[in-house]
Amino acid sequence: MRKKERRNKGGIKLSITPLAAQSSAMVSLHLVPRLIALLLLLPGRIRSSSPVFNSLLSDLQGDPELEERCRDLLRDFGRRYESYVKCAVPSARPVRICENCHIQFEMLRVVYNNISSDQADPENCRDSLLRADRLMLVYMLFQNLEDVWDVAHCSRGYHGLSNITLRYMAKLNQSLSCFESQKNNHSELCRVCRADYKDLNEFYSIMEKNQTLCIDIEDSMNATRRLWSKDFNCSFPREETVPVIAVSSFMLFLPIIFYLSSFLHSEQKKRRLIHPKRAKSNNSLMNIQDKHS
Amino acid sequence: MANITKRVSWSSLCEDRAPGEGTALLDDTPGARRCRRQEETLKQPNEIPHNEKLLSLKYESLDYDNIENQLFLEEEGQMSPMGFKCVEISRWVICGLIGFLTGLIACFIDIVVEIVAAYKYKIVKRYIDQFVVEGGLCASVILWAILNSAFVMAGSLVVAIFEPIAAGSGIPQIKCYLNGVKIPRVVRLKTLVVKVFGVICSVVGGLAVGKEGPMIHSGAVVAAGVSQGRSTSLKKDLKIFEYFRRDTEKRDFVSAGAAAGVSAAFGAPVGGVLFSLEEGASFWNQMLTWRIFFASMISTFTLNFFRSIYNGNPGELANPGLINFGQFESGAYKLYEIPIFICMGAVGGVLGAGFNALNYWLTIFRIRYIHRSYLQVIEAILAAAATATVSYILMYCSDDCQTPGEHQAVEYPLQLFCPDGQHNSIATVFFNTPERSVRNLFHNFPGSYNSLTLFLFTFTYFFLACWTYGLTVSAGVFIPSLLLGAAWGRLIGNLLTNSGVSIFADPGKYALMGAAAQLGGIVRMTLSLTVIMVEATGNVTYGLPIMLVLMTSKIVGDYFAEGLYDIHIKLQSVPFLGWEAPATSHSFTAREVMSSPVMCFNRTEKVGTIVDVLSNTSAKHNGFPIVSDFTTNEPGRICGLILRSQLIVLLKHKVFVERAQLKQRKLLLKDFRDAYPRFPPIQSIHVSQDERECTMDLTEFMNPTPYTVPQETSLPRVFKLFRALGLRHLVVVDNENRVVGLVTRKDLARYHLGKHGLEELQLAQT
Repeated sequence: MRKKERRNKGGIKLSITPLAAQSSAMVSLHLVPRLIALLLLLPGRIRSSSPVFNSLLSDLQGDPELEERCRDLLRDFGRRYESYVKCAVPSARPVRICENCHIQFEMLRVVYNNISSDQADPENCRDSLLRADRLMLVYMLFQNLEDVWDVAHCSRGYHGLSNITLRYMAKLNQSLSCFESQKNNHSELCRVCRADYKDLNEFYSIMEKNQTLCIDIEDSMNATRRLWSKDFNCSFPREETVPVIAVSSFMLFLPIIFYLSSFLHSEQKKRRLIHPKRAKSNNSLMNIQDKHS
Repeated sequence: MANITKRVSWSSLCEDRAPGEGTALLDDTPGARRCRRQEETLKQPNEIPHNEKLLSLKYESLDYDNIENQLFLEEEGQMSPMGFKCVEISRWVICGLIGFLTGLIACFIDIVVEIVAAYKYKIVKRYIDQFVVEGGLCASVILWAILNSAFVMAGSLVVAIFEPIAAGSGIPQIKCYLNGVKIPRVVRLKTLVVKVFGVICSVVGGLAVGKEGPMIHSGAVVAAGVSQGRSTSLKKDLKIFEYFRRDTEKRDFVSAGAAAGVSAAFGAPVGGVLFSLEEGASFWNQMLTWRIFFASMISTFTLNFFRSIYNGNPGELANPGLINFGQFESGAYKLYEIPIFICMGAVGGVLGAGFNALNYWLTIFRIRYIHRSYLQVIEAILAAAATATVSYILMYCSDDCQTPGEHQAVEYPLQLFCPDGQHNSIATVFFNTPERSVRNLFHNFPGSYNSLTLFLFTFTYFFLACWTYGLTVSAGVFIPSLLLGAAWGRLIGNLLTNSGVSIFADPGKYALMGAAAQLGGIVRMTLSLTVIMVEATGNVTYGLPIMLVLMTSKIVGDYFAEGLYDIHIKLQSVPFLGWEAPATSHSFTAREVMSSPVMCFNRTEKVGTIVDVLSNTSAKHNGFPIVSDFTTNEPGRICGLILRSQLIVLLKHKVFVERAQLKQRKLLLKDFRDAYPRFPPIQSIHVSQDERECTMDLTEFMNPTPYTVPQETSLPRVFKLFRALGLRHLVVVDNENRVVGLVTRKDLARYHLGKHGLEELQLAQT
C-alpha cells in the first residue's frame, strides 16, 4: 500500500494539471507505458533530430541564466540517461533490469545528486536546472526512473551481488539445466528434477519472507514455476477425491443425525399459559352486544 | 371489521373457560379483598408448544418514570445548584469512560482474535501444504474441523453453562432494553466476560460469524456498569455516581454504551448515535444525544489509538473500527448505475427475507427441541465442524487460481492444486477471518474471483450463516451478511464487467452495494445502517446509492418477512412495544385492555397484608395503587402508586409505625438506591408474627401523582403514553377517581396485527 502511495505521488508530480492530480490512481496506472515511451523517444530524438536540437541549444546559449558549469552537468546527465535507457529497454523482457543496469543507474544517480546538491551560491545549478520552470523536466525524468527502480525493488537484490542472490542463481541454474536435460520426457522430468526444483522453491520462499527479492529474481522464478506447473505439468494431481469426499460427507451427515435424533428423542418444550384477569363486566357487556347483533 | 370479529372471539374465549378451578390466580389471595370482584378463576388446556404468539412472564418493564415522592422532593431541595452541575459533569465523565472502556474491549477482542486466528491458520496451512505433497488430505480436513470445533466448544460451553443470555449478537436484547424491557441478567459483568470470551472463540473457531454485533452488547454492559460506580457481582462499591442508580439514568447510559459499541465496531460514531436513536428513540433529548456522540467518538478514538500502538506506529490513527471497508479508489459511481443498485437492493431484500424465514423455522425448532445445554453445545460443535468441511470441499474442488498482485498480500494463501506461485481463490474468502474476506471482496482487483467461485461461495455461505445465527455462541450476523452480500454483489459486478460493456469497471463497488443490500434485507435497519455503511467506507459519495439500496431492500424484504432481530424478539416472547399501536385498534378502550381487579393498598397498611401480597407466587405484581376511603365492594379513590421494590426496601428496614421511636434515622432515597438493581426477593426478608400486626405508613414513599386515564381512553392513546413517557403502570380510573384497573406493558404488547387482523398474544410461563 505504501509503495503505491509513493507511486501516486510520483504520478502527481509527473502531470501537474489538476485534472490528472484528481485521478491519481489512473495516472499511476498509465505511468509505466508513458515512461517507456519517453525512454524510447528521448535518446532517438537527441540523435536523429539534431538540427532542431542544435537550434534549441543556440537558444539556450543565449540564456544568461545558465552557467557553463550547469550546462556541463546537464550534458552529463543526458549522456548517462541515454546509456541507462539503452540498457533498460532491452532488459524489459525477460526482466533483467536490476542485474544489467544497476551500474548505469548508479552513475545516473551520482550526476543527479551532483545537480541537486549544487546549491552553494544564489546562481546554483540546482535551481536553474531542476526548479526553473513549470515542467521541471530533469527532475521528472529522474524521478520516474527512480520510481521504476523502487517498484522493481532493485536496491534489495543487487546492492552489489549479494551472497543470497548468488546462491539463488546457482540453484536456479541447477534446476534449469535439469529441465534442459530431461526436456523430452515430462513425467521423467517431474521425477528427476523434483528435488532440485523443490530446493529452489523453498529457497525462494525464504527470500520472499525476508523481502530480499528484486524483480529479476521474481520474474525468473515465475518463469520457472510456469515451466514446472504449466509446461511440464508437474503440479500435484487431485488424487484423493474419494477419501476426502467420504470424510466430508460423514462430517456433514452428523448434524442431520443430530437434528433427527433430537427431534425424535428430546421432549418438546411446552409453555404453560397464564390467564390474566380482565374486567368481567366488560365481557358480559360484550356478550350482550353480541346477542343483540 | 376484522377487529370486531376478533373481539368477539376473544370474549367467547373467556366464556369457554371452565369456571371454578383454582389455578392461574393473579391476585386472588386472602389479602385481595378490596378491589376484588366476583370472578371465576379460569383454566384452559394450558400447555402449548412454544411459538411466536406468546408473551413471557419473566420480562418486566424498566421504571423509566421518575418517582416523585416526598423523599425525592426533599433530596432535590437539599441539592445546591453546584450539586446539579456536578451531576451534569459526572454524566460527561461517565460517557467518556464508557467510550474509553468500550474501545478498549473492542481492541482487546480484535487483537486476541488476530493473534489466535493467525496461529490457527498457520498450523492448518502448514498441514494442508504438507498433505498436498505427501498425500492424506482427508487428515487435514479432520484437523481443521477438530481445531474449529475445539474453539467453538470452549465458547459454547461457557455461554451455555454460565450465561445463556450472552448467546447471539445481543442486539435484540439491547433493543428490548432500550425499548424499556428489563431482560434479566443482560447488563451484568458476568455477561460481558462470557460475551467477550465467547466471541473470541466463535470467530477464531471459523464459524460464519462476526464480532461486531456483540460489541454493541458489550458497550451496553460497560455503560450499565460504569454508570453505577459499583459492581454487584464483584461486591465492590466505589461510592461514586450514586445519583445514577435508577433505571431512568441507567437506560440513558446504556443507549450511550450501545452507540459506543457500534462506533467501535464500524468506526462509525455518527452511525452509533443514530443506532441508539433508531432503537430507543422515544426517550431522547438534545443533551443526551450530544453526550452519546461524545461517548461514540471517544470509543472509536480509543480503539484507533490502541490499535496504532499494537501495530507499532503509535499515533497513526488509521483504524477507526473493528471492520474497515477501506477506501474505494475508483471514486464515484455513475448515474446510470443507480438503477442497477436499486435492483440489487431488491435482490438483497428477497435473499434477506429468505434468510430470515429459514432462520425463523430453525429457531422455533431450536427452542422446542434443543433446549438442553449439552444439546446446544453439541449443535455448535457440529456446526463448526460442518463449516470447516464445507469450506474445505469448496476449496478442494475449485479450479480458480490467482496470482497475488503486487499490492494485495494474501494473508494465508493456500496453493492446493494450483500451479506454483498461485493460490486458490476461494481460499482467500473461506480460509480467513470474515472481516478480511469482506475486504478482499471489496478491494481485490477485477478478475480476482471467477463467477463460479462467487456463486458457489454465496450459495453455501447463505446456508452456513443462516444455520449459525442462533447457535449458543456469542456472535453477530453483521459480518456474515456483509460477506454474503459482497459475494453476490461482486458476482453481479463480474457479470457486468464481462458483459463487454466497458462502463462497468469496478466489481468492488457492486460488492459494496450487495453487502449493503444483504445486510439491509436481513436486519432492516434504515437510517443508522446507511450512515454506518457510509462511515465504514469513508466515502460520503456513496451515501445516496447505499440509501436507495437499503430502502429497496427493506421495502421488498418487509413484504415477505420481518427483520431478523424482530423475529428473535418475538420468539423470545418479549413484550416489545412498537412505534405505534397496531392499526385498527382504536375501538379498544382502556377498560378492555386493563387487568382488573387491581391489588391495592391503604395509605397505612398492615405489614402482614403487604407480606402476603408480595409473597404470592402465582401473581408477581409490581405496582400497587394506594387508595383511600374504600368500602368492601367499592374500589377506592386513587391517591398514589407504590412499587414492589420500594415495599421490599421498607420491609427490610422495618419502617413500621409502631417502631417509629426505635428507629435511629429516617429512611432516605439513598437506601433505595443502595438496594438497586437487585432487590432481594420477599422470601429472604424475615417478618416475625409480632411485626405482621404492625402497620406501615406508605404516604411518604408512594408516588403521589401517578398517571391515570379514564376507562374510555382508546388503546392507541394509552399506547402513546407508554411509548413516549416510558411508563410501567398506568392506572385506569372511573369518573370518581376510583381505581378500576391497571394497564401494564404486557397488556398492551399482546395486541398485534397478524395476517387475520388484530390478534392477541397469550401470556405464558417461560
